[in-house]
Amino acid sequence: MPDRPIIEIRELTKRYKGADEPAINSISLDINKNEIFGLLGPNGAGKTTTISILCGLFPPTKGSVTINGLDIHADIRKIKQIIGVVPQDIALYPTLTARENLTFFGNMYGLRGKVLKNKIDDYLTEFGLERHAGKMVARFSGGMKRRVNLIAGLLHDPKVIFLDEPTVGIDVQSRLEILNYLKLINKKGTTIIYTSHYMEEAENLCSRVAIIDRGSIISLGNPKELVAEHPEFKNLENIFIHLTGKELRD
Amino acid sequence: MFKFFSAFRKEWIVLVRDVPGIILLFLMPMVMLVILSLVQEFGWNAVAKEPKIHVLFVNEDTGNLPALIEKGLDDSRMFVVLKKLNADSLTRETAREKVRTGEYQIGVIIPKGASKKIERKVQMMITQIMSGIMMPVGNPFFGMENKDSVNIIIYFDPAIKGTFKAAFLSSMKEYSLKIESNMIFQTFNDELKKLFPQYLSSFKEFRETVYFTEEYPSGEKEPVIATSTQHNVPSWAIFAMFFIVIPLSSSMIKEREEGSVIRLYTLPVSYFTVFMSKVGVYLIVCFVQFIFMVLAGIYLLPLFSLPALSLSNHYFSLTIMALASSMAALGYGIMIGTLANTHQQASAFGSVSIVILAAIGGLWVPIYFFPHAMVKVAALSPLNWAHEGFLTIFLRDGEVADILPQVFKLLVFFIVTTTVAAIYRKTNPHIGS
Repeated sequence: MPDRPIIEIRELTKRYKGADEPAINSISLDINKNEIFGLLGPNGAGKTTTISILCGLFPPTKGSVTINGLDIHADIRKIKQIIGVVPQDIALYPTLTARENLTFFGNMYGLRGKVLKNKIDDYLTEFGLERHAGKMVARFSGGMKRRVNLIAGLLHDPKVIFLDEPTVGIDVQSRLEILNYLKLINKKGTTIIYTSHYMEEAENLCSRVAIIDRGSIISLGNPKELVAEHPEFKNLENIFIHLTGKELRD
Repeated sequence: MFKFFSAFRKEWIVLVRDVPGIILLFLMPMVMLVILSLVQEFGWNAVAKEPKIHVLFVNEDTGNLPALIEKGLDDSRMFVVLKKLNADSLTRETAREKVRTGEYQIGVIIPKGASKKIERKVQMMITQIMSGIMMPVGNPFFGMENKDSVNIIIYFDPAIKGTFKAAFLSSMKEYSLKIESNMIFQTFNDELKKLFPQYLSSFKEFRETVYFTEEYPSGEKEPVIATSTQHNVPSWAIFAMFFIVIPLSSSMIKEREEGSVIRLYTLPVSYFTVFMSKVGVYLIVCFVQFIFMVLAGIYLLPLFSLPALSLSNHYFSLTIMALASSMAALGYGIMIGTLANTHQQASAFGSVSIVILAAIGGLWVPIYFFPHAMVKVAALSPLNWAHEGFLTIFLRDGEVADILPQVFKLLVFFIVTTTVAAIYRKTNPHIGS
């Protein structure tokens, strides 16, 4: 019997107050354990809304979500303990040092003492930040901030990690480092749900992608298989443009 | 508790690293306290009867009236009588010019012959009375009237307060009536001696029968005097505590703008824990601010020749009052931090509303100077509740029971403001904290 999907989304709908159209409209989706799942879509497609609901930031208007068998309504505290979130914004305190930020977020996951210190040291070394541990995050470059932002979501070894455009606006080196590390933790068993505007990145990284537009999933599958199904488009980016159009989005 | 302390530590570090914010929180109210206490000292001194107001005293008379008025002014301890300026005797013109230019606030001119006129009038009155006794029929003084009047000229600086002017005129009337009464009794005594050589008088001078003794509702023999310090320290301490609205709301908006609040709400920690850690840190800041202001009142203000703050040993009441005021300030800050969308909105609305609430709450001008309608408005300001509570302790010797109404109102204000914030946050979940 196959494993139950780690994330089960059923008819998920979110309608914001005063909006004409729902931000996401009756999405149903299963994400399996150990997947790197890409949520792709133009601006305003509903990617961040979907991730925000999955992380428990706000409730859906309709529909249900379970993560690792836990219901998003009833078991949100337990869900928060097993998920990691790397928001699109640099969700750090700029006047705290990298170590102080990571210690605070680690503490919030219940980590403390030597265990936490060793974890922070290991991650800082892994991401080439060990020399900057005592510096205020405000003085970091964009790439360094992104790396600390990622570490903050990984400290408690989450079963599922949500990454909202984790590589936006950073240098190639930092981007490579982050992507390689995501592949590494995925090999160790972490399920990754990831949004991006970089189609090539998603094509290389993800085991499956869902292309969302105007709140609905318009395509779902392995990126390589999607490209194979549409040989005329050659790559995922062309498929994406074909499906979502060239019209500029707000 | 572990998560609470960790969040508390984070809040603390964030706050103490905001050096300009800390300076604003602690230095600004202290500077305001010193400046405003110095500025208001003159007005409060007048109330506290300190000898500070100089009166230019021009005596053109040769009798004893000027000396008696001068003694009355001296004895009042409100005035310093100046009869000479730079070793030159004062003239009517000099006094008028000095007051006109605002160099001095009051000038008093005793005109030539004033004493004689009073003496003549008194003599006439006594003679009329005595002749009535001695010659009930055919009294030549019957119906005679002495129309003499003494016109003492007083110059006031136009900038002087109306209430102060009225108080000075009232004092002058009191001295002149006393002098007249004394003359009447003295003349009457002399006339009786003339009429009855065997009359032995023990009369020396007229003394009032009615005396006024100020007793203090608190029962204390020497209550705390309402000095500028006693008024300004609680005023500026409350103002400083409520100014916490700016850094507190800024910190909340910063968390939203920087995105850290997004991560906070994905963490397995309750909103209440995070919220209370913020409240805890800012509560300590408010309380420390209050202690600093009290210490400034005790040790700093005397360095500027201002009276030191007197605490009346009500440390427990003060602590309760300071905590309740801090809670009200925090509630207001949390509400603004939640409702405002941007830093600019929060700091502009926060600072302007605090200034307005302070002004209508009687922090800068005591509410007994307010018109009746404004007194009712003042009662709506939480800064007024805090101020009333502190004044009850500082000036009315209030115990904990006496400040409970204010403490209750301030705590209700905290509950109402945080509830408004919580409801708004619940109905607008995207705004985070």
